[in-house]
Amino acid sequence: MLRARNILVVPQRWKGGKTRWSIQQKKKNNTDRALENFDDFYGSVFGVRWRSIRAALLTENKYIAMVNNFGDNEKTCSKLEMDGAINIRALVQLAKERQTETQTPNIDTNQNSQEVEDKMDAITRKQKDKEIHLIYPENTNEAHVPENLDYNSTANENISPQMQSKETPLRSTTESSVSIDHTRIVDPEHGTGALYDFIPASSIKGMEDWIPESDHYKYYQTNADFPLQFELEQDFTFPENLALYTYEMGNCSEFRPPNKCLTGVLSHYLMDGASILPPLLLNVKPGERVLDACAAPGGKSLLMLQTLYPEQLVCNDVMESRVNRIRKVMKEYLFDFDERWLGQQRLILNQCDARNLDDYGSYDKILIDVPCTNDRHSLMENDNNIFKPTRVKERLRIPELQAGILANCMRLLKPGGSLMYSTCSLSPVQNDGVVHMALQKAFNDDGLTFIVKDLSYLTQLFSDIYRFEYPKSLKYGQMVLPYLPANFGPMYFSKITRTE
Amino acid sequence: MIRKVIIQIHRSIARPLISQQVRCFAKAGTGGVESIEPTSADYELQKEHIAEAVKAQPLLSSVSPQLWQKAHETFANHGLNTNSFLQIVTGNPKVLMRSPQKIIETLEHWRSCQFGEFFLFQLITKYPALMDVSDKRRLLKQITFLQGYVGSSKNVWKLLMNCPTLIEQSTETIEAKIVYMKEVMRLEIPEIIKSEALSKSLDEIKCRHVFLERLALFKPRSPKADPNEPSKNPRLYKITDTSDKSFANKVCHVSHAEFEAFKELFARELERQRKEEEEDDADDEDYDDDYNTIDVQVK
Repeated sequence: MLRARNILVVPQRWKGGKTRWSIQQKKKNNTDRALENFDDFYGSVFGVRWRSIRAALLTENKYIAMVNNFGDNEKTCSKLEMDGAINIRALVQLAKERQTETQTPNIDTNQNSQEVEDKMDAITRKQKDKEIHLIYPENTNEAHVPENLDYNSTANENISPQMQSKETPLRSTTESSVSIDHTRIVDPEHGTGALYDFIPASSIKGMEDWIPESDHYKYYQTNADFPLQFELEQDFTFPENLALYTYEMGNCSEFRPPNKCLTGVLSHYLMDGASILPPLLLNVKPGERVLDACAAPGGKSLLMLQTLYPEQLVCNDVMESRVNRIRKVMKEYLFDFDERWLGQQRLILNQCDARNLDDYGSYDKILIDVPCTNDRHSLMENDNNIFKPTRVKERLRIPELQAGILANCMRLLKPGGSLMYSTCSLSPVQNDGVVHMALQKAFNDDGLTFIVKDLSYLTQLFSDIYRFEYPKSLKYGQMVLPYLPANFGPMYFSKITRTE
Repeated sequence: MIRKVIIQIHRSIARPLISQQVRCFAKAGTGGVESIEPTSADYELQKEHIAEAVKAQPLLSSVSPQLWQKAHETFANHGLNTNSFLQIVTGNPKVLMRSPQKIIETLEHWRSCQFGEFFLFQLITKYPALMDVSDKRRLLKQITFLQGYVGSSKNVWKLLMNCPTLIEQSTETIEAKIVYMKEVMRLEIPEIIKSEALSKSLDEIKCRHVFLERLALFKPRSPKADPNEPSKNPRLYKITDTSDKSFANKVCHVSHAEFEAFKELFARELERQRKEEEEDDADDEDYDDDYNTIDVQVK
């Protein structure tokens, strides 16, 4: 009877099931990690404004269409205009006229930078506290908490004597025993019970190459011991052959997809709206030799080629796959690519780490769109995200890489030449912090001095299209902020000119 | 006492201008609605009443006085006073043209929902369009369906007082909305009842919810949290019962332009998502077809 019942009754698990919280809770993935990090960091940098930037970052971005001059450009222009798009040249012209009516603005460069410095200080301190408390929880009776987590030096020093002691001869052992801390010796006469008492750890093994998150924020330094010059940049002409189209602020329409023209190339190129500013404001002039140090996927390079100004453009990137991407884009957009462009050396594709480029003093203009945390992308794409736990080290050391690239490119400039440093991150560490580090390094190592161009006059020409960081809390550059009605960017850019 | 309180609450609810005018007038003409014991004056239709109602709703001018009296009598016999009658008629003029039999039938349909006389009258006075219900089976099915989610019939009444359109929505759409609010937004039923959320479309609810979430103003409560503990999120009625402008300014603290842009972008996002899902489904079907053909070949 009992057996029959056993067969009939199906054992059921009561615990768990769909209503259990552990099943309902969403798994945390890389985009969530990125968002958490941004909330923490940008929340304190931007204050109340962060919320609306956050919403914009998490929502689809807005594009700008660049008409391909090697296709049926007139037809494309009229088609885009039919769709309601506006030529950016016209908007800039309008803004220029408006500005000549009113007086040229007097811009205070270092208005609010002090504020950012204070904020960065607070962030670093907060992060450090958090890390210290993670390792030394508050409730222990520890009397002394180290002020700095210097894993590299103290850890090694503390461990090494003990490790060596096993092999060293008797004499050195007795010598070293002189320095034994007698307060910590347990006398066996009093029983071994004391050995089981809690003895706090003085150092942690295995943390030798651990980098605390707070180190990342230390890259933002402000004390300058190099000559620093600012100059208001007013020299800007909209390239004659360039046709860029956008929708006005608040209009979120989409562009039509590019189609093939008679010449076999595509009619227009769609890119994030903010990406046009660095190559435009670099102000390439006819006959100049230009370098795009981190060129993939090639949108910015293509824009410079569309102006027909550069005599030679070198597109460099670190990985072969990325160089191939540039090649693909150029083939799609440039007519007779192999013969006219590669063959006549008007365009050179180069694969090299930008820190190792060595044709010093040979470029008039350089565009450096460095690898960064790529804020918008990190929030959208889970695959190979920079906030992946296994890429922590890489992420925390990004500013070092950026400063390395920028400092090297500074040496590649001809005297009097200019470069444009740009990132698509909101982080002050990767923006002003890196420019500062690179300027310092270039001065210390090579004795080069630079003029930082104040772009605030030029950005006003574009103020109908973009939302710029205002009031100005940036030291060396300008930034496009994501804003829902004009969801471009983020894009930081700083123009630096080498002194003659 | 309770009745008095409910009358007051009911009055505080904003009504359309028309019924407000009529009510004021009826109050002046008769003894007003405050008196708890109904007097005979509450159930008398006078010429001024009709004149005022016609002024508020010109469509009623063509109705003969006999029809007026007949309809009024029908309603009065079922316990509705002149004041409520005028509100129903101005709100839904078609009722006046109906035969008494039809009116009684509708009232009986509603009675079978068991809200209680008083609450039922409140409901149909507030939403005269509910007098258009004719299918009893469908009505009861809908009420039972709602009851399955919200519990008591009192809760169903509360829900209908906020979202009368629920009577006409399909069960699938209502279910989708309730599931979204319960599982994604992690809201409890009492909060849902207190808002007009269910009268909005799922996309509208989603849009406002996602906007708040992206602004970091709305975090779904943790599954481990105590349901009785108040959350820091804005209350649902603030999210769904506000105009676009006040939602953007007062609840989200952003400009109206930003919310407008978001609405447009989010609609596109949803559309894209749906398309992708459809394509995925289509792919699956293709795969199934292939599989079947292979199967057939093997056979």
